[in-house]
Parts: sequence; structure tokens; C-alpha cells
Amino acid sequence: MSINEVPQNWEPKILVFACNWCTYAGADLTGLGRLQYPPNIRILKVPCSGRVNPQFVVKAFQRGIDGVLVAGCHPGDCHYSTGNYFTRRRFLIMNRMMEYIGIEPQRMQNKWISAAEAPKFQQVITEVTEEIRALGPNRKLRDDQWKN
Amino acid sequence: MEKLTQEIRKTAKEILEKGQANVVIGWEKGSAWYISTPVFIDKAEDVERLVWDEYCVNNLAKYLLDYKTVEGKVAIFVKGCDARGVNRLIQDKQVDREKVLIVGLSCPGMKDEKKAKELGKNAEIPLVKKCQECRYPEPIIFDIFLGEKGKKEPAKGKDFSDIKAIEKMSSDEKYDFFSENYDRCLRCYACRNVCPACSCRECIFDQSKSGWLGKANNASNNMFFGITRALHVAGRCIECGECERVCPVNIPIMLLNKKIIQDIDTLFGDYDAGLDPEGKLPLGGFEYSDPEEFM
Repeated sequence: MSINEVPQNWEPKILVFACNWCTYAGADLTGLGRLQYPPNIRILKVPCSGRVNPQFVVKAFQRGIDGVLVAGCHPGDCHYSTGNYFTRRRFLIMNRMMEYIGIEPQRMQNKWISAAEAPKFQQVITEVTEEIRALGPNRKLRDDQWKN
Repeated sequence: MEKLTQEIRKTAKEILEKGQANVVIGWEKGSAWYISTPVFIDKAEDVERLVWDEYCVNNLAKYLLDYKTVEGKVAIFVKGCDARGVNRLIQDKQVDREKVLIVGLSCPGMKDEKKAKELGKNAEIPLVKKCQECRYPEPIIFDIFLGEKGKKEPAKGKDFSDIKAIEKMSSDEKYDFFSENYDRCLRCYACRNVCPACSCRECIFDQSKSGWLGKANNASNNMFFGITRALHVAGRCIECGECERVCPVNIPIMLLNKKIIQDIDTLFGDYDAGLDPEGKLPLGGFEYSDPEEFM
């Protein structure tokens, strides 16, 4: 089987960087409220979305993740006052950079999800999963996986 | 240029004899007529080695870091782009302004050494790409100024046509383009070593045990290197194009840097790195009014 064929039982692997104070609590509330969302995500808790170094994202793609979602508090709600404003500037640049080198923009997304927005968390995860499922497995930035 | 060479030698001699600086950084004639290499003069009798011609393309600013811990002042000859490099280092608190004696030179634009080698001595040799697009041919920071101003007409605006051309491609075409280029990368780190924006005491790529950058030389790791470096100099790149010039395998590194410059200009307002040594960096801060795309 060629490596470029999509395996039959393939499921997207999505990494979610969730800020400790908003998105992680929001994900918790989604569970408490028994709201169903696709099991394709791996949540990685970070103290603040400002903690997410753009290299984390590139490294995740190198190691075989199909899509990355960086989520944090809404601007103005940051537990550390201004952390997510830095995230916003950094990822406005980073997202365009990833698109520019050929990663589909759906694979690298950012969303603000507060601790009270359980339905939004459910909706965002469902949307992101479906978008990436439509794109298929990511071979870009991975070792010897592109055009082999 | 002959006249300016004499002036440069005279100035360097004065600086060294009066003890205004212990060392002068300039250019000397290299091993071929189309190469002028950096030279470090510390004795007044050696000043005859200094030259100024169409091939003094090297950005000397980075060499100031070699004298960071050395006592005494350093004199440096700068073109327009070198001056921005010196500003860049001062802004990053890498170099003390008091320790540097900057001698500004009026730059007519430098010729392309690679083309010169191909075309030969008698042909009309084009300017280097960065000089064709140069918007600051006059040094913006100097203590002494030599030559006449206005030797070169500065370019009107920034030229992003090559970036726009890539943006029009499909995702796969873009990735093909960059991965084929970065497949050639030897990871010699010459681009990092020459960059006036790269001044970390310990570079991430030297921390081999951190696990960030794998040791295997393949397109994946090379692209990790390329993307990381572009993002590390984001908002600080002075467009001197030295990374591209020193690259032994001709990777178009400036395509990544210029993309970020273009995005910073459109998202956060026009910004030119290395103009104001006291200014705030675009990615070192934020505005409450930044564009909101993550709702």
C-alpha cells in the first residue's frame, strides 16, 4: 500500500492547546453537560494561550498531527490580563506563515472559548474535526511522507 | 569610489592614531576582483588594506558582537543597511552605543558578486537584489559621515510581488516549492551566523539535547529550521538579504522573511526594523485594536 493512500479506518488526530483558565474549564463543562463531541482531539493544557510557542505547532505536525487548534480566553478575559493579546499577534503572523508554506489554513486554527461556552466548544471541535476529515491525513512537514 | 577609499584610509588612520577606537572594521580586497571581504585593522600602518568599491556587500554589523566583551571602542564603516543592523543590535541591547564609533558611507548600491563571476569583468553587472529594492541607502545612524549624500535614488515602496506570486499558488504547489528548496539545506547555519537580528547567547539550534531540532538532515527538520528562524527574526529582519547571499545552496530565505514583513505591515501598520533603537518591536507588544480573527 502506498503511503499516500488514506487507510480505511483513518480518523483525524487533532491537538488542542487549551488554556487552563478558560478553554480547559470550558471543555470540562462540555463534559459535565454531557454534550457530545468527536473523540479525535487530544487536549494539552497550557497555563495561558500565550504559552503556546509557534514551534509547538510545527513540532506537532512533524510528529503526525493532522490539525492544531490553539484556544484561550476571549481578549480582555485573560487570567494574566494580557497574555492572549500576545497570542493574537503571534498567531496572526504564524497562521499566515503556515498557509504561505503550504499547510492548509484549516489545519492551523485559533479560537477564543471561555469557561462558560460549552456549546461553543462542542461546535468548534465538531467543525474542526469535520474540516480536517475532509482534507485527509496531513503528510506535510512530516519525515519522508510527502510524495513518497 | 577611489576618492572615498582614500578618505576611508585617512579616517581610519586618524581614529587609530588618536586612540578613538582600538580596532576598525571595514572591507579589504579579497581573492578575486569581485570579492571584498571584511577586515579588522588594529594598527595604523595597516590602513592601506582598506578599500571601498562596488563589491563591499558584506554587512559588518554582526562583527560588533565579537567585541562585546572586549575593552575599548570599536570603529565600524557602515552602508545604509549596515547602519540598520547596528541599530538592530543596539535595540536588542547587544551592543553599547557608547562603545561603537560609526562611520557612515554614502552607498551607491552594490553589485552582484555571483553575477560578476559569471559575466566577467567587462560586462555590465547588475546590482544585488537587496540594493535594487533598497529604501535606505544613506546610513541613518553615524558619528562621522564620508562621501556625498544622494548617490542612489531610494526605492519608493516595498516590493512584495514575489510574495504575492507564491500566495496565488495552491497549498500543494506552495509546499512543493518550499520543501524542494529546503531539501537542499545543509544546516550549516551560515544564515543565522551572519544575521544581525540573530543574537541569542545560545541559539535554539545549538541546544542539541533539547530535542527541538532533530539531527537527521531531511526536508522536515530543515523546514522546521527555516520556519523557526523566520519566526525568531519576525519584526526584527532589516531586509539586508545577507542570509540569502551566504547560503551555499541558494535557498530563497528572504521569501519567508519578506512574507512576515508584509503581514506585519498589513496587520499592525507599517514597520521598518532597525530605524529607531529605542522603539518597541511589533511582536514584543500588542494593541487592543489588533485585527480579531479568532472569534
